[in-house]
Order: sequence, then structure tokens, then C-alpha cells
Amino acid sequence: MVATSMKQKMLEMLNGQEGQFVSGQKISEELGCSRTAIWKHISELRKEGYEVEAVQKKGYRITSTPNHITANEVKLGLNTKHLGQNIVYQESVTSTQEIAHRLAYDDVPEGTIVTAEEQTAGKGRLGRNWHSPKTNGIWVSLILRPKIPPQQAPQLTLLAAVGVVKAIQKETGVLAEIKWPNDVLVNGKKVVGILTELQAESDQIKSVIIGMGINVNTSAAEFPDDIKEKATSLRIEAGKELNRASLLRRILEETETLYEEYLQNGFQVVKLLWESYAVSLGKHIKARTLTGVKEGIARGITNDGVLLLEDDTGEIHQIYSADIEIC
Amino acid sequence: MLKIQEIRELIKLIDQSSIDEFKYEHEGSVVSLKKNEIQTVQAAPVQQQVETRPVEVASAPAPAEQSKETATAAPAQKEEVQEKETDESLHKIKSPMVGTFYAKPSPDADNYVKKGDSVDEESIVCIIEAMKLFNEIEAEVKGEIVEILVEDGQLVEYDQPLFLVK
Repeated sequence: MVATSMKQKMLEMLNGQEGQFVSGQKISEELGCSRTAIWKHISELRKEGYEVEAVQKKGYRITSTPNHITANEVKLGLNTKHLGQNIVYQESVTSTQEIAHRLAYDDVPEGTIVTAEEQTAGKGRLGRNWHSPKTNGIWVSLILRPKIPPQQAPQLTLLAAVGVVKAIQKETGVLAEIKWPNDVLVNGKKVVGILTELQAESDQIKSVIIGMGINVNTSAAEFPDDIKEKATSLRIEAGKELNRASLLRRILEETETLYEEYLQNGFQVVKLLWESYAVSLGKHIKARTLTGVKEGIARGITNDGVLLLEDDTGEIHQIYSADIEIC
Repeated sequence: MLKIQEIRELIKLIDQSSIDEFKYEHEGSVVSLKKNEIQTVQAAPVQQQVETRPVEVASAPAPAEQSKETATAAPAQKEEVQEKETDESLHKIKSPMVGTFYAKPSPDADNYVKKGDSVDEESIVCIIEAMKLFNEIEAEVKGEIVEILVEDGQLVEYDQPLFLVK
């Protein structure tokens, strides 16, 4: 634990210098550790993928940071109170949701997140698989413990979509849209999927676990044939490779801001923002459910986030669960 | 005059910009948007403006009222279900929220439980989903499933009985 925070502090010192050298003397004085200890931490950073230049009489500087989403990478410069302050990182996992579930039972603090470079069994809706190739995306689960009635928890899935869209816009300039309830699309293709699980006991929420799968640096060729037509990545849309840790920080920051606003003042502001980013409203849609297909115009959402669909006869249907296809 | 869609567009643009305050006046109607310290949009003045234009928003309140009707219709169904099963010795597993009832984890999997299965407190009996939020429902009681009251894929109401346990 001590060693980790020492490495983290050193990383902060080096990163804060923006490419300038920091002398071994200075590091050792500020962190109160020996030259040997510094060297040990530098070696560890290199193993994690940092390129650290060491020049005699000048000191150390970072010339390249790894495009990883380790706890170190994500925490550096993260401006949140809770969200992402406790990070559980593993190189490869079955699914971040599965780990987050266990952690949530074990009473980890609110705001704990689980990230991984790769998911071997990423979860989609209704037992579907989510393609999660190595180091190309952000596969993350956020653990929240809101003191709200369980029946209001679905609002948080819309909140998460708004947070992600805002973060993507700020980080990449790409304008994404939301397809009800929380698919994030760019140019009509899916770039983010969000799946949320609730742990509740009778009338109390134990935790809300928001799982996000974000296609960040996937190239067009890397998408399997069956999802090629429907999926895209931010790299394809922005036309450049992106820093995943930096994007994840933005997501955590935007989501926390919305979450605090939500806890304080309710769903109203989140709803307005959601509507402003919604692609499906006012359009002709098909809603596929287990029991059949409903077709009509998407009229809006209720205060609970329920989709209102008006069919040909003018009847309004409330949609709670469906795959939406925009016609 | 501004349409709802245009107001939404404005909210989006202001939200993404560094502008803190925005005011638009046209023929007596006013839209004013203001971000507070934690960067939110205050929407009250928009509502005021909406009220002054009954023609354009006529379609908006209608769905809300209709949805109320369907919402009030639902408890009636619930009562029927409850009347059918008056055996007070049976424990009812109820839905903690409105949503879709799933009897199995994925369409080609087996049901979590079937009639005659014994369950304990932590047995998962079904999933309720709304807006892609999945809630695994635990039995919270030890016993035997004697009746499944709802169909796979059915919309269930808050507090609606789902299973009867003996």
C-alpha cells in the first residue's frame, strides 16, 4: 500500500513537469526516500509501459505514457470526490460487472470502479455478449449507493448516458447521441453500451452497478462481421487514437457532477439534458420486446425515464424494456 | 416562436458552451437559461413560456394523461390477481419496481425457478428490468414455489405479486 502511493506520488511529480527533467535529488527530498527506492519505482513504471528517460546530472522525465487504464493512469489528475477514487484494476476479467457485484456485496465505498484491459465474457442485454477486445476500449463498472427508492434507480441509467455523451464531446469533439434508454450512438452506430444492475433488499438499495462498454480505439477491421454495420469506435469517428485514461477521467467527472445534481434536486435536469441529446424522440421507431413489436412515434419520456410510444391509432404505450430501431 | 425541439437544441448548445446565461425574447415570450455553479440548466422559465403557447404543446400533455390512465388501470388487474389467491398462509414474492418480468437469465436459458422448486432466502427467482436496469429478485424466504403468477416478458407493477411460496 505504501509502495503504491509512493509510486503514485513520483508519477505525479514527473507528470507535473510536462517533459522537463526532475532530479533524483529533488524526488528523494520531496518523497523522503532513497535513490535506490526511486530506481525501483522507475523500473516498475517502465514495466507498466511508461517510457522514462534517465540522464545523469539532469534526472528523470517521462517521454511517453502507456495507453492503459491502470489505477495509476486513471487517478492521475482525476478531479472527483468519490467516483473513481477507489479503482480495482485487472488486466483481464470475465466481466467487470461480475467483479463489481462481488465487491459491492463486500461493502466497498461508493464510487469504487472496476476496470480492465480486456473482458472475456462482457455482458450485454439478455445474456448477449459484448465484444471487448484487449486495450481497445474502456470496460468499466461504477458502484453507486444512492439513498433513493429502488423504483427510481432506472433514472440512473439515463444519467449515465448523459455523462458519457458529455465526456465524449469534451474529450474528442465528437457529437454523440442517445438512443433510448442509454445506447450512445455516433452517426447512427453504437459506440457505448450501458447495462446496470441493482442490488436491493426489500425497499432499500444496496448498490447500483453501472457497467459501460466503450469502443475507443477499435479499428474498423477489428469489429466482427456481425456487428460491423451497427458498431463504431471513437477512433473511427474522431479520426485519431485516443487516450483511454483521459477519457475515463472525463466520464467519471461528468457522471459525478450529474449524480450530485440528481441526488440534490432530482431527475428534472438530467431528463432535460437526456432529451436534448436524444436521437429517437419525434421519430418513427420500432420497439422490440419479448412479447412482440410495437411501432409508432417516440413522443418523449416520463419522469421515470419510461419511453412513450404513440401508435397509428393514437394510443400511447409505455415502454419499459425494448430494443429500439429507428425507422 | 420556438418549438420544443428548438428549446432542446438550445439547452444542448448552452450546456456544451462556456456560456453561463442565455436569454431570448420574441413577441412577448421569453426563454432564459442559466447554469448554476455545478453547471446545470434551470428550466423553470422554459415552462413558463410553454404555457403561453397552448397550440404547440397540446400534444405534449396528452401522453402524460393517457399514461396516467394506463397506470390507474393496472392496479385493478393486480387486485384481481390478489383476489384469486386468497390463501393467506402463502408468502408472496412481490416486485420492488415497475418493469419487465424475466423468468430466465437469457432467452435460451432455463427458468430460474419452476413450480415445485424449493428456494431459500438467497435464491434468485427472476429478473425485473426497466430502462436497462436489471434487478435480480431473491426469494427472501425459504420454501417451495407453488405458483408463478406472471408470464415471461410481462410488464409488472410495483408491489405486484410474482410468486407464491409455501
